[in-house]
Amino acid sequence: MTSETTAVPPAGSTAAPAAAPAAGAATAAGDQAGRIARRGAARLARAVAARVAAVAVVLFGAATVAFAGLQALPGDPVATLLGPQTTASPAVREQIRDEYGFDRPVVVQYVDYLDDLVHLRLGESYQLRRPVWDLIADQFGPTAQLAFAALGLALVLSVTAAVLTAGRRGVLRSAARAWELAAVSVPGFWLGIALLTVFSFHLRWFPVAGSGGAGTLVLPAVTLALPVSAVLAQVLRESMEAALDEPFALSARARGLSRTAVRIRHVLRHAALPLATLSGWLTGTLLGGTVLVEKVFARPGVGALTLQAVETKDMPVVMGVVLLAALCFAVISQLVDVLYRVADPRLRKG
Amino acid sequence: MAVTALRVPGRSWRLPRPSTALAAVLLVLLLACVLFPGAVAGASPTETDPVNALQGPSAAHWFGTDQLGRDTFARVVHGARPSLLIGLGATAIAVAAGAVVGLAAALGGRVVDAVLMRTADVLMSLPELLLALFIVTVAGQGTVNVMVAVAIAAVPAYARLVRAETMVVRGSGYVEAATVLGLPRFTVVLRHVLPNAVGPLLVLGTVGFGTALINASGLSFLGLGAQPPSPEWGAMLSEGRNFLDTAWWIAVFPGAALTLAVVTVNILGSRARHRLSGRTAR
Amino acid sequence: MPAFRDRPGRSLGAALMAAAFLTVSCAADDKGGSAAGSGPTGAPTRGGSATIAVNAEPSCFDIHVSPQDITASIERNVFDSLVSQDAQGGFHPWLAASWEVAPDLTSYTFKLRTDVTFTDGAPFDAAAVKANFEHIAAKTTKSQYAASLLGGGAYAGTDVLDPSTVRVRFNKPFAPFLQAASTAYLGFYSPRTLTDSADKLCAGGTHLVGTGPFKVAGYTKGQSLVLENNPAYRWAPATAKHQGAAYLDKLTYRFLQEDAVRVGALTSGQVDAAAAIPPVNAKSVEGSSGTRILRRDFAGAVYSLFLNTTRAPFDDERVRKAVQRGIDVGKNVEAVYFGQYKRAWSPLGPATPGFSAALDNTWPYDPALAGKLLDEAGWSARDGDGFRTKDGKRLTVSWPAAPGQVREQRDILAQAIQADLKKIGVDVQRPALDLGSFTTNAYKGNYDLLDMSWARFEPDLLRLYFSSTSLPSSGGQNAAWLSNPEIDQWTAAGAATLDKATRADVYGKTQAWVVDHAAVVPLYSATTLLGVAKHLAGVEFDPNAWPLFYDVWTTRP
Repeated sequence: MTSETTAVPPAGSTAAPAAAPAAGAATAAGDQAGRIARRGAARLARAVAARVAAVAVVLFGAATVAFAGLQALPGDPVATLLGPQTTASPAVREQIRDEYGFDRPVVVQYVDYLDDLVHLRLGESYQLRRPVWDLIADQFGPTAQLAFAALGLALVLSVTAAVLTAGRRGVLRSAARAWELAAVSVPGFWLGIALLTVFSFHLRWFPVAGSGGAGTLVLPAVTLALPVSAVLAQVLRESMEAALDEPFALSARARGLSRTAVRIRHVLRHAALPLATLSGWLTGTLLGGTVLVEKVFARPGVGALTLQAVETKDMPVVMGVVLLAALCFAVISQLVDVLYRVADPRLRKG
Repeated sequence: MAVTALRVPGRSWRLPRPSTALAAVLLVLLLACVLFPGAVAGASPTETDPVNALQGPSAAHWFGTDQLGRDTFARVVHGARPSLLIGLGATAIAVAAGAVVGLAAALGGRVVDAVLMRTADVLMSLPELLLALFIVTVAGQGTVNVMVAVAIAAVPAYARLVRAETMVVRGSGYVEAATVLGLPRFTVVLRHVLPNAVGPLLVLGTVGFGTALINASGLSFLGLGAQPPSPEWGAMLSEGRNFLDTAWWIAVFPGAALTLAVVTVNILGSRARHRLSGRTAR
Repeated sequence: MPAFRDRPGRSLGAALMAAAFLTVSCAADDKGGSAAGSGPTGAPTRGGSATIAVNAEPSCFDIHVSPQDITASIERNVFDSLVSQDAQGGFHPWLAASWEVAPDLTSYTFKLRTDVTFTDGAPFDAAAVKANFEHIAAKTTKSQYAASLLGGGAYAGTDVLDPSTVRVRFNKPFAPFLQAASTAYLGFYSPRTLTDSADKLCAGGTHLVGTGPFKVAGYTKGQSLVLENNPAYRWAPATAKHQGAAYLDKLTYRFLQEDAVRVGALTSGQVDAAAAIPPVNAKSVEGSSGTRILRRDFAGAVYSLFLNTTRAPFDDERVRKAVQRGIDVGKNVEAVYFGQYKRAWSPLGPATPGFSAALDNTWPYDPALAGKLLDEAGWSARDGDGFRTKDGKRLTVSWPAAPGQVREQRDILAQAIQADLKKIGVDVQRPALDLGSFTTNAYKGNYDLLDMSWARFEPDLLRLYFSSTSLPSSGGQNAAWLSNPEIDQWTAAGAATLDKATRADVYGKTQAWVVDHAAVVPLYSATTLLGVAKHLAGVEFDPNAWPLFYDVWTTRP
């Protein structure tokens, strides 16, 4: 691959467990489909199936890990479920034990749990007594809104910074680098607190609370976007610098295009590809980041739901969120992998 | 090549020159706070003085005082030790566990390798903070549990690295020679394989230390970490949150200290990586 | 005054954690401040809306299931009860026009109003009462609180005598029933709701159909609950300030758990009222031109420290006394609560019947005396960290931190206490335990200090707190592990009579004894702080000090 990103030690491959064969199949499918049209459809279907299987394997693993966690939880599950504020009678406790099937052997519980998952039943929240699926679906909106707003903002910031500073020296570039270092080092929750203090409590430019209207989205999105944008800008700049040295950039300049035009029209497009390598990290950071950001800004969402579930040991909800995160991660990884192959012809010939 | 994604923003930071000097100064300051907090800050971090509660920054109290009249500067200085120790402990556990798992995967045969690496894949598919939260839910809160949770969330990255390095070394001539000479496998691993993985591992560990600091303080901020009155930075931030409109200094200074600590770690990590890869920073 | 445990079977852990905010029973007198305050005056006007920011969100909206305060507090607007209780503890007609209690307290017969309808059009009648009580008692409902209010195992059944007469029977005398029947937990769902959507009640939303002055219009988890006026409402309780429909057209609850955010929402005008104003913000909320604060004292057992008298070092009264006098309670409470909460001198709050004012100022902060007492007890040497030692052993006491959400900044107060005790050489450890270990340790007495409060309008709390019949080992709340025949006798005598003089005497003696022998260190008596915008008028409090919105009107155009 082009940039040194993948050579950096922590670049753990996040390809799904079955991704290697899946990727091979996909590449093959790409070639074959081009050559032999009538066999293409079948190949394509097989390639898609392989990718779906890869996602399923990750989900199965996450579900198993989550189930093992539930089993490792100390104490009586009924007591955990009822929480501290209760006067539930022994009869009620028995009823609950019976309904949730806590007295079945672990293996039976595990198989039933997997069976439920296959049928898209994530169980019922211990504390909220609602299907976990409904809860997550309810709370997904505000979180997705926040994550996408942050992602958009981060892209704008990082592209601007990279275009302005790539291949240049001097104060601007040093400033940009210092800023990037600071931005990746600042803990998101503290950044949120600082922004809240300045812009909500002192300047009163933005509302303090909740999730109504665009005004409430600004500060949380900025909080989540700044550290992300610093990393993206770094990657972008490095690959832009590599691309600027390529012959096509020189020839474009020779045709009389301005520096900036070359950067934006040719180099940026070329350099954007390595960003895809960050998709896994990006998904994780945005999803993990929402937990803290939603807490700081008192926003509803999956993060807030997760925290509430963690505090009350509401295991079905925690497990549901774990599965959701794994699903997002696996699906996005696969999608990016496909897009990557479509976008970069060099890989298809590999 | 399959698309790979970064778990840690372990980018190669090519930094402006003054950063090295800055990192050196900050490192000295941090070490001073960790080793001799009493000498850096005269006041006690836990002694209360309700009469002087919520005073703004002044000559007597550089960072102001908190709700109980405790000196925020002293608390920030004394907070360096517990805050950094959690991060350091988590990183140490993660590196050690990662080394063991990585070696086991590389040398333990196909089945072991498959099981360990698939588990690592699954763990890596979860955001570190979420995974740590999940572990704290199961294990309960507290300083040690937070440390372990942050560590477990970071183990897969280290395990992968060690496994990859080991695979490379294993195929090299001198390891094969050592094996042929009849040295026990364990000895070969200890003498020849592990030392080759130490460099990259340390580099990744430095970067990971910054992430561990942020994650651990995040969990403390959520009220799952250190026990009071230990002046841990994340916990201080959490307490200060109620006073944003009346006493901003309670939350702002520990946050600044945490940020500076992570900046230091990131600069050092960047330097270490360049040193290792034989390049010099521009 | 009902002299009963309104929550039989409560576990110690639960009591320690939740007692204070699970208040049932009667209220304080009006000492805590009047709702009239400095709000708008003049005749109430109809129309308009109000938004209230609350600090908790019900995890379950089913009043028959949930044990949460916030559930009952919010749904008081939607559900009515058979009777209503006034601030003095007296009962008044509500959905029941009159009632008769059997002399042996095993049955209660209610004559119901005949003009009451649910908001889905169904009439409220004896059959509806029976359906609701059977629903509460049914095992499948998994009631966590309402069932115990209904007598638990003592509940024998409900008989429909005629469409407007219903009798509730118990298989043994059950005195607390009238008080229980006045709570929102024993409110009434439309019978259709119970047959069609009983399983959806916990999730909240428009399934919740009652007879109240408001009906549920919408619910968004994590954000808000919207209630709208029930125009047909004509059956307000005698304790309300007006009759007929509520004044407000719309009432919205917003769930804002973060203190700073809730206060910011009130002062910036995003909401019209905010519950649980943190004491630090009370002054600024009051000082702002658009808002004011309504106060109401809690009644019951104040937030106190209990010293385990059976374990070293607190088996030595001198050490206990030293701890009691070595904490600067007044200054700490003043600092942590900014003068909003009162420093306590007795384990009972001043608004509680039987409270003894004789203890006021009798045990001021005296670190010198504390040091002397510790020296006398043999803890005279000091180690490198400045803590006292005896025979090479450090004077360390363990005070387990209760898991779960900390409220009222008790964690900060605890740090102040830790710091004070460090000054006299006592090392206070605060292990953080999970709920299971915490409860187990509490029952076994594996602690030196425990903290709790219990809001209840009833001095019988002293029996639950200090009588040897209420030891944690037998499921009680005697966290000091006292076994004193005098205390047992006094508290038993108080529970057996309604004679005011006798009760004042025995409860006064009990309070004096436990403070004098330092079994307890009373800390503070809390106050409800409700922030209200100036344009909102008519906010009343129910006996639990929860705000009521039936009489509220707004002058905002």
